[in-house]
Amino acid sequence: MNPDLILNLGLAFTFISLAIFFANKLNFSSIPFLILAGMLVGPHAPEIAGISSAVVQRTESIDLLSRLGVLLMLFYLGLEFSAGKLASSGSSLLKGGTVYVALNFLRGLAFGWIFFHGWTEAFVVAGITGISSSAIITKLLVDLKRTANPETEFVLGIMVYEDVFLAVYLSILSGLLFSGGEIELARILPSVILIFIFILSIIILGRRIGALLEPRLSVKSAESFVVIVFTLLLLTAVLVDTIHIEEAIGALLLGLVMAETIHSKRVIQLITPMRDLFGAVFFFAFGLEIDYRIFGTAVGITLAAVLMTVIGNIINGLLASWLAGYSSRRGFNVAFMIIARGEFAVIVASLAVSAGVNKLLPAFAALYVLILAFISPILAKNSRFFYQHYIRLAGQVIKPRGESTK
Amino acid sequence: MLSVIKEAELPGLGKKFEVTLDNGDQVVVVILDEGNREVYHFSKGEEDALSSVTMTDQEARQVGSIISGSFYQPHLLEKLETAVADLHIEWIQVEQDSEIAGKSIGEMGLRKNHGIIVIAAIEDKHKGKQCNSRINPGPSYIFTPGHTIVAAGVKDKMKQFEQMLKVTKKEDDS
Repeated sequence: MNPDLILNLGLAFTFISLAIFFANKLNFSSIPFLILAGMLVGPHAPEIAGISSAVVQRTESIDLLSRLGVLLMLFYLGLEFSAGKLASSGSSLLKGGTVYVALNFLRGLAFGWIFFHGWTEAFVVAGITGISSSAIITKLLVDLKRTANPETEFVLGIMVYEDVFLAVYLSILSGLLFSGGEIELARILPSVILIFIFILSIIILGRRIGALLEPRLSVKSAESFVVIVFTLLLLTAVLVDTIHIEEAIGALLLGLVMAETIHSKRVIQLITPMRDLFGAVFFFAFGLEIDYRIFGTAVGITLAAVLMTVIGNIINGLLASWLAGYSSRRGFNVAFMIIARGEFAVIVASLAVSAGVNKLLPAFAALYVLILAFISPILAKNSRFFYQHYIRLAGQVIKPRGESTK
Repeated sequence: MLSVIKEAELPGLGKKFEVTLDNGDQVVVVILDEGNREVYHFSKGEEDALSSVTMTDQEARQVGSIISGSFYQPHLLEKLETAVADLHIEWIQVEQDSEIAGKSIGEMGLRKNHGIIVIAAIEDKHKGKQCNSRINPGPSYIFTPGHTIVAAGVKDKMKQFEQMLKVTKKEDDS
């Protein structure tokens, strides 16, 4: 047993705990705090009066825990998802959700192309800026006491919709990254199509595969159950890696399959604490890699991205809720709620970095998540204020239009 | 009349139940997956909640059982109605001068002649006194004023039985 290894891990967890403690105190999402903590104590830490605060090394053990964090987060995402829930939410969500996700993604793609001049970068940026953080948004909904509002169903529906999109997006991204970021369609396309078909069949056949898995998982003992589930998760990651699919997608797919079994609730209960533990390490480790000194070059792009996200999201959100048949007042609640970005922006950025896409991306993603994490609760809280201003403005420009309530 | 309850799934959060009350107000109960319950009260036609409370699982169960009347039954509703298809189960009090007061179940041939099954007889409960109930009383049970009878039967038969327990020989006190 190497004492330094444990010391390093102990220090890392001390800072992780501190970050989470402060985040809870301030009632904020812990993700930006974890990244900040990582930045402040990592190898690129600031040096004040000759004393560097770089006390935590990015060791192999931290890397391993952080990788497990990604696997567990995506596994959990798959578990929470159920095709039945999506189908039952009806056609209004389908319309609104498709428009919202598609417009958001295209907007991100265009933005990425303009600022990074490369398709792979553009694709990564579209992922970072396009997918909202369901963790932050559900927390906001509860904090703002909006869980009973009718539009909340729609907001959460969009989250589920984005999860489906995420599966498809990740499959294309991993195809793109495995081919080294080259945009030779002939080389990428087969693998992308393969993964796409694979994912689609899992989503469609999930119930069948789940039924196959179900009797084998009927173990009473909690100990063996958690071991079996964890083993399955690791084996799936290994398996998909050999056929050149990102291991995170493997975890997501396993989650989707498990969600269709009767064990889904039990798995969720067992996985949640592990996800919280290793997920925190992941965000912290992401921060360790970030050198705040390159923020200078990233800050312009990030601010532009934040501006684009906020404005674009408001327009898209309003459009989507209008299509889904909600009144403009409800629409404002929807549009201002779904601006938060978080875990997926970071996951996408770290996937891109491990494939060596662009050095600026992690700093960009960190700064972006940081800024949005702080302004999105403020925007969400004041959606009513913005709505009243909108009504006043609209009243001055055109005659006031009738309010239809759903 | 039973109120309409609307259910909605809140993926990632829990489940929502919307109950529209007789007076038009709406009560929305959200059961969060992490265990807490949120209860919102909307005035008729209002879009913003008048008030809301958040309860832990434990508190919600306690409040729930109080509301359901497990600890105290309102006097006005001594008659509780449960309808399953056509089968009715009712709690009815034997009135002071009911026409069958003093008669026994066997004597009346309640099941054979009236199609009524007596499930239980609950003796008059007063404050502080333990109430005494007889589950499935035999044919020798005598209907006694003040007792509450739990009986089952089809709708029409139940109506007749209720009349027997309630109807007084003098028609003046309604």
